[in-house]
Amino acid sequence: MSQSPILKISGLTARVADEDIEILKGVDLELGEGEIHAIMGPNGSGKSTLAKVIAGHPGYEATGGQVLFRGEDVLEMEPDERSQAGIFLAFQYPVEIPGVSIANFLRTALEARLDGDEELDLFDFQDLLLERMEMLDMDPSFAERPVNDGFSGGEKKRNEILQMAVLQPLLAVMDETDSGLDIDALRVVANGVNTLRKEHPEMTVLLITHYQRLLNYIRPDYVHVMVDGRIVRSGGPEVALELEEQGYADWKDKEQEAAAV
Amino acid sequence: MTEASVIETSAPAEGVTETLNREAVERAAAQEPTWLAERRAHAWDVYERTPLPSTKLEEWRYTDVRRLLDLDALTPAPRPEAGTGEALLEGLDGLPAGLRAVMAEDREAAGHVAIVDGCVRHVDLSDELARQGIVLTSLARAVQLHPELLEEHLATHAVPPEEGKFQALNAALWADGVFLYVPAGASLDLPVRVSRWLSGGGLAVFSRTLIVAEAGARVSFVDEIVSDDLDAQSLESSVVEVIARDGAQVQYVSLQRLGHRAFYQAAQRTLAGRDATLDTLNVSLGASVARVDLNARLLGPGANSDMLGLYFGDGDQHFDHNTSQDHEAPNAHSDLLYKGALDGHAHAVFRGIIRVHEGAQGTDAYQTNRNLILSEHARADSLPNLEIEADDVRCSHGATVGQLDQETLFYLMSRGIPQQPAERLVVMGFLGEVLSRLPLGGVVDKVTRAIEVKLRHG
Repeated sequence: MSQSPILKISGLTARVADEDIEILKGVDLELGEGEIHAIMGPNGSGKSTLAKVIAGHPGYEATGGQVLFRGEDVLEMEPDERSQAGIFLAFQYPVEIPGVSIANFLRTALEARLDGDEELDLFDFQDLLLERMEMLDMDPSFAERPVNDGFSGGEKKRNEILQMAVLQPLLAVMDETDSGLDIDALRVVANGVNTLRKEHPEMTVLLITHYQRLLNYIRPDYVHVMVDGRIVRSGGPEVALELEEQGYADWKDKEQEAAAV
Repeated sequence: MTEASVIETSAPAEGVTETLNREAVERAAAQEPTWLAERRAHAWDVYERTPLPSTKLEEWRYTDVRRLLDLDALTPAPRPEAGTGEALLEGLDGLPAGLRAVMAEDREAAGHVAIVDGCVRHVDLSDELARQGIVLTSLARAVQLHPELLEEHLATHAVPPEEGKFQALNAALWADGVFLYVPAGASLDLPVRVSRWLSGGGLAVFSRTLIVAEAGARVSFVDEIVSDDLDAQSLESSVVEVIARDGAQVQYVSLQRLGHRAFYQAAQRTLAGRDATLDTLNVSLGASVARVDLNARLLGPGANSDMLGLYFGDGDQHFDHNTSQDHEAPNAHSDLLYKGALDGHAHAVFRGIIRVHEGAQGTDAYQTNRNLILSEHARADSLPNLEIEADDVRCSHGATVGQLDQETLFYLMSRGIPQQPAERLVVMGFLGEVLSRLPLGGVVDKVTRAIEVKLRHG
């Protein structure tokens, strides 16, 4: 990478808060501006944990190493500060918030980004929201529904993309956004991400996925394989294709051999 | 023989004090017609022989009145002077600033009543409504102007003194209150707004509200009570009787925003006739202790009651809502939803019972209580109950006490919303479900603002 990375993870170890078992055992990863990276790996390899540690989920605890976002140590920051710095996590399981409309939720999120004496112009906000929804081919009534409350799996993921489109992060971490989606929903979500990327080529994307199929729709520049809390292989898109053919079993075996030596 | 030989040595009855006693009742009754004086005397008898509720009683298990209320330290608020007819038109300028501020927030109304320490200080009702035969006046005046209606309804079939210690005390000592009468077929498009003010500590305020809506009448009534924080405990005792005759539509909204150290005690009863709709909303935000007893009686076939409740406690506030839905006629419908959020060391109790009486076939009755706990010291006890003596009924009840969950908070914070605004958003969303079911715009705005203020200061 020619320029300094937007996200630089080095030697990151982490565990579930209050438990002794380490899930991340020393992760090294660098993401350059505007790049698309995919992390693939079997269930339990720690890839979702990595996403949550980057975003600051209180249920996980970094025990060592560093996560630098644009040179700043994000492990010292609260989740809201990380978001305001430009990190966005698309949740694997978006949370339902009864009684809070998507519009109200996003307005509050944008207001939180303003300085003390600034005020969000509600008409500007309305325009922005409508324009973003149109771009993502969503019905305007969607914004008045309570956040994820009673949503289908596909609607929840589309809502994540809408939030991303409104908040316009510098780094989007997408945690198994493809899980539980049928092929149509997957295509809609992928189109949303691609549209946003076209608009903001500088946006960096980290895709966390178990399956290769998402990568048919969002083409990664780099693919990393994570097994047992470490990145065990990094390469170009061809890595994903190899995995598709060979599965993760090989990597697990190699890990065990390495451990045995 | 043996009876005559018993020497009376029993201690004075519980709750009789230097100022709350039979002499006070007699003074209250001095200028009143015989029927009312007798009614007060009877209520006082009931009061004397009824013990103060103890936590041994299931209905008072979590609210220890003996510990929380010091009746000895209270003095009844001054009564309205006799012949205050003209004072009813007193301008708003003479009212306490806090009360005027509350009234200034209100949208248009069909009529206003302003009350200070239980005594009516201002009433207005448009001439047009008065011509329709609608009566809105102080209870003290109604005794003179509409004795036949009061004799029939006041503390008789809705909230008689036999209902309990506080109900008896109120029936014996009430100073004033509101009387609203809506004749058959008359309809008020705008709500009647009552604004009450409690001026200080050390007071015992007893007031009553009587609403009678005749067949096919339509009215909404917003009853708000406010005070500053008090320097000593005051008791605000409110009895509300709402009677909806056949086909009438009545909404009663109570908005309680009393200050610290107020002890609020309300007994509300709604009587819904055939095909009548009688909906209620109780909002409890203020007072140190608030005990609300609401009993909805569905007396006619096809009667309908939506019962909404909303509370938000912080500090050391204690709320106790005790509700009952009495289905005494077939094919009636009632739906209760009480939701509350609790922060600090606040404690909320909800106890609700659906009683489907014998013969009340085709009953639809629902009861839901949900609590959101925001701090590790806050607490909610929820005790829903059913008593069914008919076989063709649809009933359900449910109660939840949940914490503000970490995953929700993280989700909001991951979008850049700091913890406190994130919590506010969740609480407003949680409580908003109740308000969304109430089609009274002005009230929704007011309650929303009041909760927001409380959330910010919490």
